[in-house]
Amino acid sequence: MRILRLMGRIFALSLQREMAFRTDLIFSLLMSIIDVAAGVLALAAVFGRVQALAGWRLEEALVLLGCFEIVTGLLNTFIEPNLAWFTEKVTGGRLDDVLLQPLPSLFMASLGSCRPLALRQVLLGAAVLAFGVAKAAHVLTPGGVLAFLVLILAGVAVTWATRLLTATAAFFAPGMEPSVLYSAAWQLGRYPVSIYHPMVARLLTYVVPAALVATLPAAALTRGATPGLLAVGLGMGVGAIAVAVFAWNAGIRRYTGATS
Amino acid sequence: MQVEFLKWFAWRSFAFTLVANQAVTPLIGLAVWSVAMPGQGVTSYYVAMLLVRLLTVSYENHTFSGRVYEGAVADDLLRPNAVVLAPLGENLAIRVWHIIIGLPVIVVLLLVVDVDLGTQNLAVAIPAVLVAAVLRFLYTWSLALSAFWTERAHSAVGFGSTLVFLLGGEAAPVYLLPDAIRPWAEALPFRAMSGFPAELAAGLVPPQAIAAGFIYQLLWTAVFAVTAAAVWRAGVRRYTAVGG
Repeated sequence: MRILRLMGRIFALSLQREMAFRTDLIFSLLMSIIDVAAGVLALAAVFGRVQALAGWRLEEALVLLGCFEIVTGLLNTFIEPNLAWFTEKVTGGRLDDVLLQPLPSLFMASLGSCRPLALRQVLLGAAVLAFGVAKAAHVLTPGGVLAFLVLILAGVAVTWATRLLTATAAFFAPGMEPSVLYSAAWQLGRYPVSIYHPMVARLLTYVVPAALVATLPAAALTRGATPGLLAVGLGMGVGAIAVAVFAWNAGIRRYTGATS
Repeated sequence: MQVEFLKWFAWRSFAFTLVANQAVTPLIGLAVWSVAMPGQGVTSYYVAMLLVRLLTVSYENHTFSGRVYEGAVADDLLRPNAVVLAPLGENLAIRVWHIIIGLPVIVVLLLVVDVDLGTQNLAVAIPAVLVAAVLRFLYTWSLALSAFWTERAHSAVGFGSTLVFLLGGEAAPVYLLPDAIRPWAEALPFRAMSGFPAELAAGLVPPQAIAAGFIYQLLWTAVFAVTAAAVWRAGVRRYTAVGG
């Protein structure tokens, strides 16, 4: 509860800070709209040629793109501001600042600051998703919506955990920068994972969770969810968090600080 | 260029970031269009597109616009050589690093997917890539010069890249775009700096359309050369550095 209150205050403070630059806000919003529109137009170009892409119709692909934009927006708002260039914090000793604060280091290192205006991507993603659902003329069932919400939450949890895991690699191999491949692979999630080579599809399901972030929630909303699908989502969410927490604790034990 | 090449050797892990981000768009295009339109030459096209992107990358909004904001262009203007030479040298060095780092990806693609880039097609594509490399530099440079007027040069270049993505053959090969858009995409400069050399390498341009493609390329290169020179002159007149 204390952590949630603190997150709320960090969010409010960051929002006040960002609102000071209103022209930037309008311009950033415009650029985000152009980016999301480009994604939609790219889909339109594909579906101008084919009726279905690996079994996905245009409206389903729009729902998938909406899911992808929503989770990417959350990633850019709450997680990336903390974990971008994390290796430099470890090698430069700036992680000391985080460890000295009277709060769990895992929280402060991964969620201690945010960029509230990046939430515009979430809103735009929700708009694309709503457009896809409306176009599909698919009657949403309470079970489907609930499964969608559960899978999106699981996707966010797995996103946080896997992004944290890639950052944690800095404790063990500071010369590597796995976040580079993570952010590149992340972009593959804007299309159904079934279009990729089976090896890549497995990578996007179990290593970089792009499938859980977009494909599975979109499938749940447009095609209904099975108990098995929900179990996989929840299991991956819990498992990824457990692994990330374990890796973080192991990494922190290894960290020697700037002056030691 | 030699100095810039060595500088980027020290920044090679950052160069990996750049190459990964450059590679991801053609790889997505390869996956999507191979499923959507198998056997239409899209595999060869997107492998060639990856090569074209690595050979034509331009980051003048990073390498030059920042110097405008910092006031460092005042130093550049005092040097006896043209200011554009340093960003141009850095551009070439970055492109060499992109090819060095990106080559293994291309080799893996050649091994795992069915690619047909004939020697004759490649021979025709080489001059097109060279012109595209010049054109992309002039295009990005012109947009990056907006730093003289606005603090949002990154956004201006980002918007320019989005146009290349949509109309240049990256989101979809231009020859597969809807009929209403295709003639526009063929005439605008974006295909000339991206899709056209890739189409040539993949052997997807009908022989009678090759000359028109080169004419568009040269025309747009001339347009952006004049634009870049005009924007530079206007920008320098406006520029006031610290103490100026």
